[in-house]
Amino acid sequence: MVAGSPDNENKRNRNRDIDAGSESRSPVGRRRFLQAAGAGATVALAGCSGGGGDDVVRLGATYILSGFASLYGEAAERGIEMAQAEINDNGGIDGRDVEVIVRDTEASADTAIQQMRSLVEEDNVHGLFGLDSSGVAQAVAPQAAQLEMPFMITHAATPFVTSPEGEHEDSVGNDYVFRDSNNLTQDIYGAARTAAELDATEWATIGPDYAFGYETWDYFQDFCAGLGVDAEFTAEQFPPLETGDYTPYISSILDAEPDAVLTPLWGADLTTFIGQAEDAGWFDQIDHTLFSVGMGTDLASDGNPLPEGEYASTRYDPFAPDTEANNAFRDAYYEEYDALPTYNAEGAYRAVYLYKEAIESSGSTETSALVDEFTGMEHSGPVGDYRFSETNQATVSSIWGTVTYDDEWESNVLDPVNVYDAGPDVLSEALGDSDLPAGI
Amino acid sequence: MSLPSLVPLIGVADVVIGLSLGSRLFLIAVGLSLIFGVLGVLNFAHGGFYMLGAYVTLAVVTGLIDNFWIAAVAGALAVGVVGATIEFAAIRPLYDRVDADLDQLIVTFGFVLVIHEAVRFIWGSGSYSIDPPDVFNFSVSLGGSTFSAYRLVVIGLAIAVLAGLWLFITRTYFGSLVRGTSSDREMASMLGVDVPRLYTGVFFLGSVLAGLGGALSAPLQSTSPALGDQVIIDAFIVVVIGGLGSMSGAFVGAMLIGMMQSLGPQFISAGSIAIPFLAMVIVLLFRPEGLFGGIGE
Repeated sequence: MVAGSPDNENKRNRNRDIDAGSESRSPVGRRRFLQAAGAGATVALAGCSGGGGDDVVRLGATYILSGFASLYGEAAERGIEMAQAEINDNGGIDGRDVEVIVRDTEASADTAIQQMRSLVEEDNVHGLFGLDSSGVAQAVAPQAAQLEMPFMITHAATPFVTSPEGEHEDSVGNDYVFRDSNNLTQDIYGAARTAAELDATEWATIGPDYAFGYETWDYFQDFCAGLGVDAEFTAEQFPPLETGDYTPYISSILDAEPDAVLTPLWGADLTTFIGQAEDAGWFDQIDHTLFSVGMGTDLASDGNPLPEGEYASTRYDPFAPDTEANNAFRDAYYEEYDALPTYNAEGAYRAVYLYKEAIESSGSTETSALVDEFTGMEHSGPVGDYRFSETNQATVSSIWGTVTYDDEWESNVLDPVNVYDAGPDVLSEALGDSDLPAGI
Repeated sequence: MSLPSLVPLIGVADVVIGLSLGSRLFLIAVGLSLIFGVLGVLNFAHGGFYMLGAYVTLAVVTGLIDNFWIAAVAGALAVGVVGATIEFAAIRPLYDRVDADLDQLIVTFGFVLVIHEAVRFIWGSGSYSIDPPDVFNFSVSLGGSTFSAYRLVVIGLAIAVLAGLWLFITRTYFGSLVRGTSSDREMASMLGVDVPRLYTGVFFLGSVLAGLGGALSAPLQSTSPALGDQVIIDAFIVVVIGGLGSMSGAFVGAMLIGMMQSLGPQFISAGSIAIPFLAMVIVLLFRPEGLFGGIGE
């Protein structure tokens, strides 16, 4: 650069003039100062009135509210809205209203951690819940312990957050992290049970290129071995999240000609995949496709993307168990939102009730009291009766069924549906010699 | 992971899919290359233009007129107008700066964010998809594999665009101005070429091509705000491999990358998206100017 050129000199002088001008005009400076001070005071006041007061029970929730999987967060918000309205209309929690602050994780671990820190440190929440992604959950679990704040996971399924630290190199389970929904181990145990019933020996997978995709496939193979399912694993594809065009991956699986495929694709990725798979003749060539995040995506999406006759799992079924609690929840949800509740809606709904029960039973919103209450707690909700295992995992069932369109509900449902008991003993036995933790 | 014998793995569908992936990459890369070749501007916002083309097409098809072809043309032209406006308002004032290259890069990167957020604001962060136009909405089965007939249309259109551009640049008066200006801007200006207007014209053309790429791809992929970011990286790889500023280079580069994207998953189960990067590294090491070079090549 030509430092001494007249043009540059002039430019520098002009800049200096402008700077000097703003410094010399003190009234502007004073006004600015007052504005800044006013803003600061407003924030401080908001802080006082917004957090720390004892008049409400304040909970913080983190879900994916934007991007390819925003439908999960939206479903969770509905569940929260319902629980909040029901509780507050019926005397609240020990007479106090419950308030839930929902934040967007953008499916990113960094954002999720920022949000949970902000909820704890700025909004002074009494407890946390949420999470839609295993990758995010893996990063968030240690943070919950560091912040000493109970975290009820309601969707993210990685077994390693309910596997005590040290059990496996990836285990990050700790005293503060609980999960009220079923985990990947429970879910994939059901997939292997389903596989055992099918006339298929060659199996393939297409899953997202991160922990969840690989864990699903690893557990499926180990469960098949443990349960003595006659299966060979012949092809695998792990396209990155938010792949816009799955056709090369679809083509690769089709070329391997497996009898059946297990896919844990989820969110908009799953609907994109299904559309492109249909175009490629997937459902004519492959006898059985098992969608492990199937119903969570199907019920929350426009139309009914899951093809009838294929198999899907759900972590909560609107029709099973056929109990008063489940039927009432389903009907109320359907009336409000004109759709059947997804498992994410139910998991979030139940989390608010879990906090209610823990706070009322201990008479406190202190972390230690809540953690004590959740540990080993027996609870009942739309999903049925369950308890929290030694590793803080809910002993809910594994639910798989055949995708069937139901005219009455104008929706896909699982019919027939199989509910497999998936408690700690069942899973440990089914995993056989596997090195993988049961996460329960 | 096993490596079964290679030949039976590559079916007709894999080749067609690869060429169609290459075709849409060509449409975005050729505009990127053209703009760089003539204006010297490395347009980061080109991926955003591609995404915008897909969104406008989707919006027109679903909301205004149920005709894919009209919607695609509308999408391409709308993006052209957006591109020309950006060039006129935000890039043109920078040409004479000392650090013009860097300033332009920063400005176009700024527009990546602006377009991304604008799309999120208007259409939300979810993803959309549409069917191919009815005439081509059927599957073709060939050699035991199945693919959408629409892919053949996209390949055909990309070849037509390449031919049209080549004729335009080499056989028309405007094309000769473009070539002249790209090789010596000051001389062209002294000879009476209205360089600023020519620049805006070229930017318009490059943007239209990106918009057309996005429009034609809408039925082949899901359209979400992430689309622009994904495709711009591939487009840069294409122009590095083909040679910045070269049309035939963009075509060959795009087809190579398309085939790598299609055939990669046949051989490895994950990480096949890294193959084009490796190809780029090899080209940069052994033929840094790219496989082809220069406008009109």
